[in-house]
Amino acid sequence: MGLDYAAVEKEVHKRMTTETIASLLSILVFPGAIFLLALAFFYEWVDRKFFARLQNRYGPLHTGPHGILQPIADFLKLLSKEDISPHASDRLVLTLAPIFYVALPLSTLFVIPILSYASLIRFEGDLIFVLFMFTLVTITVFLAGWSSTSRFSTIGSVRATLQMLGYEIPMGLVAVGPAIAAGSLSISRIVEWQSLRFWLVLLQPLGFAILTVCLLAELQFVPFDIPEAETEIVAGWRTEFTGRKLALLRLGKDLELVLASALMASLYLGGSQHFWLIPPIAIFLMKTTFVVMLLSLLRSAFARFRIDQMLSGMWKYLLPLATLQIILIQLGFGG
Amino acid sequence: MSHGSIIKVPFGPQHPALKEPENFLLEVDGETVVDVKPRLGYNHRGMEKAFELKTYIQNIYLAERICGICSDAHTTCYTQAIEELLGVEPPPRARYIRVIIAELERIQSHTLWVGLAAHEIGFSTLFMYVWRDRETVLDMFEMISGNRIHYAMNTIGGVRRDIRGDIVSKIVKGLDFLEQRLEYYLDTVQTEQTILKRAAGVGILRPKDAVSLCAVGPTLRASGIRNDVRSDDPYVAYDEIPFNVVAHDGCDVLSRMLVRCEETLESIKIIRYALDSMPDGIIVVKVPKKIPRGEVVSRVEAPRGELIHYAKSNGTAKPERYKVRSPTLANIPALCKMLRGGYVADIPIVLAGIDPCFSCMDRMAFVDIRKNEKWVWTMQQLRRKYTKG
Repeated sequence: MGLDYAAVEKEVHKRMTTETIASLLSILVFPGAIFLLALAFFYEWVDRKFFARLQNRYGPLHTGPHGILQPIADFLKLLSKEDISPHASDRLVLTLAPIFYVALPLSTLFVIPILSYASLIRFEGDLIFVLFMFTLVTITVFLAGWSSTSRFSTIGSVRATLQMLGYEIPMGLVAVGPAIAAGSLSISRIVEWQSLRFWLVLLQPLGFAILTVCLLAELQFVPFDIPEAETEIVAGWRTEFTGRKLALLRLGKDLELVLASALMASLYLGGSQHFWLIPPIAIFLMKTTFVVMLLSLLRSAFARFRIDQMLSGMWKYLLPLATLQIILIQLGFGG
Repeated sequence: MSHGSIIKVPFGPQHPALKEPENFLLEVDGETVVDVKPRLGYNHRGMEKAFELKTYIQNIYLAERICGICSDAHTTCYTQAIEELLGVEPPPRARYIRVIIAELERIQSHTLWVGLAAHEIGFSTLFMYVWRDRETVLDMFEMISGNRIHYAMNTIGGVRRDIRGDIVSKIVKGLDFLEQRLEYYLDTVQTEQTILKRAAGVGILRPKDAVSLCAVGPTLRASGIRNDVRSDDPYVAYDEIPFNVVAHDGCDVLSRMLVRCEETLESIKIIRYALDSMPDGIIVVKVPKKIPRGEVVSRVEAPRGELIHYAKSNGTAKPERYKVRSPTLANIPALCKMLRGGYVADIPIVLAGIDPCFSCMDRMAFVDIRKNEKWVWTMQQLRRKYTKG
C-alpha cells in the first residue's frame, strides 16, 4: 500500500495557501495595515475632541457622529489639493520623506502585540527595534525640513534634531526598565510577563512618567512642540508641504500617536491581556485610548518651552531620574 | 561670540505671530538677536487726511475706527479735544458713563492681550479660556450700546446712551464673574511653571531705558514707573474716583502680564464705584456745528498707553489739521531695545508684550535708516511707482 503522494501534496498545498492568505490578511487588514490606519484616524479624533473639550471648545462636530469622520475628511480633502514643491527644494527627498514618515511607524506597529500576547512579527530585541524606528522617524523629519530649503523649515528641522538629542537617551534608558523586569527584550514577552504578575506602571511609576514626557517630545506635543512652533516659525519643518504630502505627514503623525500609545500600553499597562471574557483587543484599545487622552491632557496644560530650556531640562532632570529608575530596578525595587 | 555668522531674518510683514502687517529686520547670530530695524507703514489708511475732509460730527465715527480694540479711547480723546476748543464741559453723568465705558474697554483689551500672549508662548488652553470669559464684557457692550466692538457711545458734548435700570444690575453681575475669573488667571500666570519659564526675565526694559525711549502704558508701568494719564492728568471723572496705579518692577514680559491682569481687577473696582456714585442728570449738551478757531492737544490713557490727539481748527465745520499719536508708536523704540540680546524664540512674546496695534499707528512716511533721511511720497510718485512697476 503506497501513499497517495498526489493527495498529500494537494492537501499540503491547500493548507499552505490558506495560511498564506490568512497571514496576508492579518498583515494587510486585521490587525495589520488597514486596521492600524483606521485606528490612526480614530485616535486623531479622540485627541482633537478631548483636547477641544478640555479647552471648552466643541472640536470636530459635523462629519459623522460627533465629528468622528473629520480626520478622514481632512485627509481626503488634502489629497485633492494642489501639490506644490518649492523651486529650490530637493524634489526626491521632499517626495520620499512623507512616504517614510508614514511607512516607518506603520511597520513598527507590527511588533506591538494587539490581538493577543503575540504580535504579528516578534523576535528577541524588537524593543530595541522600536526605539531605533523612533529615531529614524526624527531623522525623516530632519530630512523633510532640510530638503524643503525654506528658512522656517530649516530652523524647524534643526530644532527637531536638537530635541531628539534631549529625549532619546532618557527614553532608551527607561524603556529598558520593563525589559530588565521581564528578562526579555521582546515586547510580546514583556506583555506576557505582566499578565502573569503586575502592571509595570505599579512597579516602575517613575519610568512610566519619564516615558510619557519623552513621548510628548517625540510626538512634538506641547510643551515640546518646538519644531513646529506656529507663532515662531510658521509650521516649522512642515511649512512647505502641501496636498498629498501634507496629508501623508498628518497621517504619519497619527500613526506615531498610535505607536506611542501602544508602546506605553504594552510596556507599562499590561498591553493586550486576557481579562475575564473581554477579548484582549478590547482591553488593548481601552488602554491605548487612555494613553492618548493622557497625552492630550498633558498637552493642554502647558505653555511651550524654548529649545534651550527643553534640552537643559532633559539633561538636568530627566536623564538622572531615568538612571535612578534603572538603579532602583537593579537594587530589586520594581523588578 | 562669532561675528562672521550674522544673518538677516525678516520678521513680517506676513508672519503668524503678527496679526497686522509690519516688518522687523532682525540681525541674528545663531539664536541671539543682535539688532532690530523696524519698518513701519504697511498699514497706512490715510486717516489723518480723511479727518480734514469730514465734518466734526462725522469725524467721531472716523476716530472710532482708528482702532478696533480701543475705539472708545480714540473717541474720548477726540471729543475731549473738540469740547476744549468749544469750551463746553460734558454733563457729570456723561463723564461717569465715559469712565465706565473706558474701563470696560480696558478689561476687554487686556483680556484679549492675555489670551494672545498665551497663544504666543503656545499655551492654547489659557488662550481659549481667557477669550471665552472676555465674551462677558463684549456682551455687556452689546447690552449697553448694541455693538460689541464699535460702541459709538461718545459724542461732542456728552454720551449718546444712558446706563440705568436693569443694565446696571447685569453689569454688576458680570463684573463679579469676571473678577473671580481674573483672580484665577492672575494666580495661573504667577504659578504656572512653563509660563514663568517663558516670561520671567524675557524682554528686559530697564526703567532708565523705558523713560529715555518714551515707553507708555503697561509697558512703562511694568518697568516700575507709575505713570498713568488717568492719575497724572485726570480727564473725564477720574479725579473723583479713587484707584491705584498698578506697577511692577520686574521689567520683563511677566511683569507686563501681571500689570495687565491687575489693572483689569482695578478697572472692575473703578466701574463698581462709578456705577454706585453716578450723579443723575442729562447725558449730553447741545453744541454748535462750527468750531472756533484754535488748536488743542488732548490725551487719554488708552488700554495700550498714553494716546495723544492734536486738532487745529480754522473756524469752519471741518478741522484744518488732525494728528493722532497712538501708544504703539511710542513703544516701538522700547520694543527694539527689548528684542536686542534676546532669543529668536522669544521674539513673538516680546513683540506681543507691548500689545502692538499697527494699524492704529501707521502713517505714510519713508525712512531710510542708513542715510537717516525721511521723505513723503506725492500722489504722482505713488502712481508712477505702482503703474509702471
